[in-house]
Amino acid sequence: MTDDGLRSTDEGLGATLPIAEVSELVVTLGKALRASQLYDENNPVYKRFVTALSGAFTGLWGELDQVVLHVQEDTLLLEDEVVYRNANRSESIAFLLFKDGVRLVHFLPGFESQVPRFLHVLNRARHARQDDADLLTLLWEADLDHFKYRYVDLLAEGLALPEAGMGASASDLREVIDEEVRSEPEGEGAQEGAESPPATAARDDFNPTLYALDASDMEELRREIRAERERDVRRDVLHALFDRFEDGDEARRDEIFDILRGLLPAFLARGEISLTNTVLAQVRIWEGSGVLTGEHRERMTGLLNELSTPEALEQLIEALEVGSITPSADELGGFLEFLRGGALGVLVRATFDTDSRELARVLGGAVESIAQRNPGAVVSLLASADPVVAAAAARIVGEHRIHAAAGGLRDLLYSEHEPVREAAVDAVGALQVPTLMGPLVDTLLDPEPAIRIAAARVLGQVRYRPATDRFREILDSREIRQAERSEKIAFFEAYGRLGDPGGIEFLDRILNGKGFLGRREPPEIRASAALGLGRFGVPAARAALEKAEGDDDPIVRSAVIRAIAMDGEAES
Amino acid sequence: MTASSLQDQGRRLLSAMHGAMRALKLYPLENEAVQQAIDELHAGAEAILRSEEGIEVRVVGEFFFLNDVRLRLDLSNFATFGNVGQTLQAHGIGTVEVLAGVGREEWAPFLSLLGRTPGSDPLQSFLGRLSETPVERIEVDAVGDHGDELEEEEVFEQAKRTYAQSVQVAKDVLGDVRLGKAVNARKVKRAVQGIVDQVLADEPSIVTMTTLRDFDEYTFTHCVNVCIFSVVMGQRLGLDRLSLYELGLGALLHDLGKMRLPHELVTKPGGLNDEEWEHLKEHPALGLLHLFQTGGYIDVPYRQMLMAYEHHMKTDLKGYPTNRRPREPGIFSRIVAVADGFDAATSVRSYQHKPWGADEVLREMRENRARGYDQLLVKALIAATGVFPIGTLVILDTYELAVVSKTNPDPEKLHLPTVKIISDPMGVPLTQPLEWDLSTEGGVPGEATRTILKTTDPQKYGIRVADYLI
Repeated sequence: MTDDGLRSTDEGLGATLPIAEVSELVVTLGKALRASQLYDENNPVYKRFVTALSGAFTGLWGELDQVVLHVQEDTLLLEDEVVYRNANRSESIAFLLFKDGVRLVHFLPGFESQVPRFLHVLNRARHARQDDADLLTLLWEADLDHFKYRYVDLLAEGLALPEAGMGASASDLREVIDEEVRSEPEGEGAQEGAESPPATAARDDFNPTLYALDASDMEELRREIRAERERDVRRDVLHALFDRFEDGDEARRDEIFDILRGLLPAFLARGEISLTNTVLAQVRIWEGSGVLTGEHRERMTGLLNELSTPEALEQLIEALEVGSITPSADELGGFLEFLRGGALGVLVRATFDTDSRELARVLGGAVESIAQRNPGAVVSLLASADPVVAAAAARIVGEHRIHAAAGGLRDLLYSEHEPVREAAVDAVGALQVPTLMGPLVDTLLDPEPAIRIAAARVLGQVRYRPATDRFREILDSREIRQAERSEKIAFFEAYGRLGDPGGIEFLDRILNGKGFLGRREPPEIRASAALGLGRFGVPAARAALEKAEGDDDPIVRSAVIRAIAMDGEAES
Repeated sequence: MTASSLQDQGRRLLSAMHGAMRALKLYPLENEAVQQAIDELHAGAEAILRSEEGIEVRVVGEFFFLNDVRLRLDLSNFATFGNVGQTLQAHGIGTVEVLAGVGREEWAPFLSLLGRTPGSDPLQSFLGRLSETPVERIEVDAVGDHGDELEEEEVFEQAKRTYAQSVQVAKDVLGDVRLGKAVNARKVKRAVQGIVDQVLADEPSIVTMTTLRDFDEYTFTHCVNVCIFSVVMGQRLGLDRLSLYELGLGALLHDLGKMRLPHELVTKPGGLNDEEWEHLKEHPALGLLHLFQTGGYIDVPYRQMLMAYEHHMKTDLKGYPTNRRPREPGIFSRIVAVADGFDAATSVRSYQHKPWGADEVLREMRENRARGYDQLLVKALIAATGVFPIGTLVILDTYELAVVSKTNPDPEKLHLPTVKIISDPMGVPLTQPLEWDLSTEGGVPGEATRTILKTTDPQKYGIRVADYLI
């Protein structure tokens, strides 16, 4: 059964009470409540229902001073008339009120402005678990000015109330007088006159200036209350936990550790990165302090590692991405500093994926920092199945000159993903590890021009002579003649750097020689050969270049001039 | 007739009245349903009149009294009573008196008048219309004729309920903690809400309840008393309702950690040795730790944890627990410390068979700085309790014995409370205690007619002061 506003069947009553309108109002309340469960408070659908409900109340104030409804298990009554009935307890507004003890509700003019808060309270009550605050507690906390209610307190039923006894007997009271007064040694008062009773109450008790709060006292107390409001209670609680952890009791440490471990996800979920950092900083100090037993130290390490697992980090990244938490860059950067090698993959991927330049910058900085501290983690990352991660790892290997990564890089040179191969070639160039040059020679035949170019340059830079034959094959090939100019230049220059003893003659022939019918090589090839000769830096190469100084082709002539000027200098 | 049978008959009478009013609204007088309802009402009234001289139904706020017996509301009659009460109050009627010999024929016109729209001067117009009917043995009186007295009674009843409920909650919660269970936040919140409401509505009534000293229940009543005194002090400091609630929650739970210590240690009679004392000093930290088991972590009661943790620290931090990191106990914690110190010192408990007098405790708190209480807050406590707090047994300069019953709200007259004089100068108990405001001046301007000579320990003489107050 759904919410069902019932109309009065009684004409006489209908004439005096707006039964139909109130029924309609309750139906609207039910709809608004459902809307508040389905949509967030900024959703236009929700806002529409709130407006409708507020309007319904406003419309009633012309007819009623207040709307007073009696609450029964499944029904709401306006006076004796049922204005709402719903036997489905999971949906019924009546039962929602009734089950926690509310028996009468008064909606007063002005309530319309409190509709969202009221709906919020009802929603929380509807979803409350056994130990959560119930409707009465929530209504109390909400303190709605224009909503009054009466209830039966189900928690208080059957309690025996304290009752007065008969009072003391005459002999008891007489004993007090006799012992406390009549037997009292005569005091100061007695000396003044026999009629005066002994005054034993302290004089200061009768001097209010000693104990009454004056204006400056009150101002000081108000300042203290403001300070309490501003107090960072969570940090003070954390410090208490830290203090007590350091008492040394092992069982206490276990309990506190479990608490801290539970607090971390709670802090992170709320974006309380600063508090998270406070906990992590302390955990790291304990981990490294040497005062803990092996087991506790392991738990500290485990906690820090756990935080760096992909599962944990992906949660954080998601929260950052959707904006459910918005820590400052400093806070986030501080947090990321606590992460360990295991975090690298997720961070790298997130850096790549995020649309936020600021987030990418912070994450990138964290990646750098973690990589610096954890080269082993970077090496492990080379084996990642995610090409973005593997490529980033290769770049980091190159940037940080992680020589231990050579084995991993070899495999990446044969990766099916172009960015990975490209990053690997760059890394090999940065490391210049001899054992990787052989595989790099294979990369000269890579399908991607950029990778071929990069490989050629690396091999040229390291003057890797065993690549000579492969270069000669390529420079003789039709493919290089069809390649882009930049590739031609890269290959010829790299070859020049190798310093192949037969290379000057080989390049001289390409630059200056003529074919069977007196045809020369294409100008771009001849120009590239000139630049290759320029990398030799020996007189024979210069002589070959000088032969072409007056070449008719401007492209060739220009390259020759540049090559002569270069005279074997390293490329900038 | 016994109170319980009057209770039952009174509830039936009101239900019958409601039924007859409703029937008259719906049907003409001749209708069988109306006639049956009036029969039932009249029979109910006659049944009561057979053993009572008359029937007086009074409405005070939300409560009904029948010949001074308050009719309990329950789940079966709440709406009925509410309807009848609203109807009567709409006409300005506070009392309906049904005299012996009332005729059956008098009910219908009376009830019909109740069903009519009230006039601009509701009671007068009702009385005017009533005088034109043959109704002679049903009389009505205005709202509030007995209001003050009854309201006071009701407020006191409410204070009793609030106190009893809070002690029960403290028992349940602390018992759960001893069994290793989590704190039931729902119960605690409700109890504290009740205390805050009661303090805001009528502070003296709930403070009076703290005079109920029960050694066996000390652990629980102490928690509730500390909560009450904390909220009372908080009110003096101008805290808003929700802040009082936060403060009260922490105060009620301030000794939670003791439940994690061995029962025999907490209740050990006499003094504790050094080792036991060191163990007992762990309770603030244990309280803090246990509060992490309250609800989910999303709703961690941090401020309440600090009240549990810091309430023995003292203002100079020379108390316990000791601190390794900088700490400045907050004002809520210091309020709880003062309330705790006051209630503990004035109570009989395991370590203290002879409690201090409340006035002595206040004097010690304000004069002995080494106790480590915040001096401004001690003043705030005195502002709330007076120099001679409610429940203090005093001997007046007339040699009469009296129990302090109300604090003087005038800050300049905190030493001049209202008392209930319980005996004459010879120690003969008064059959009806005499309430006396000690700030009342006699013939000499500025000079009180009676003054406090000294205070004394009621327990020493087996006097239960609560007997004279509740």
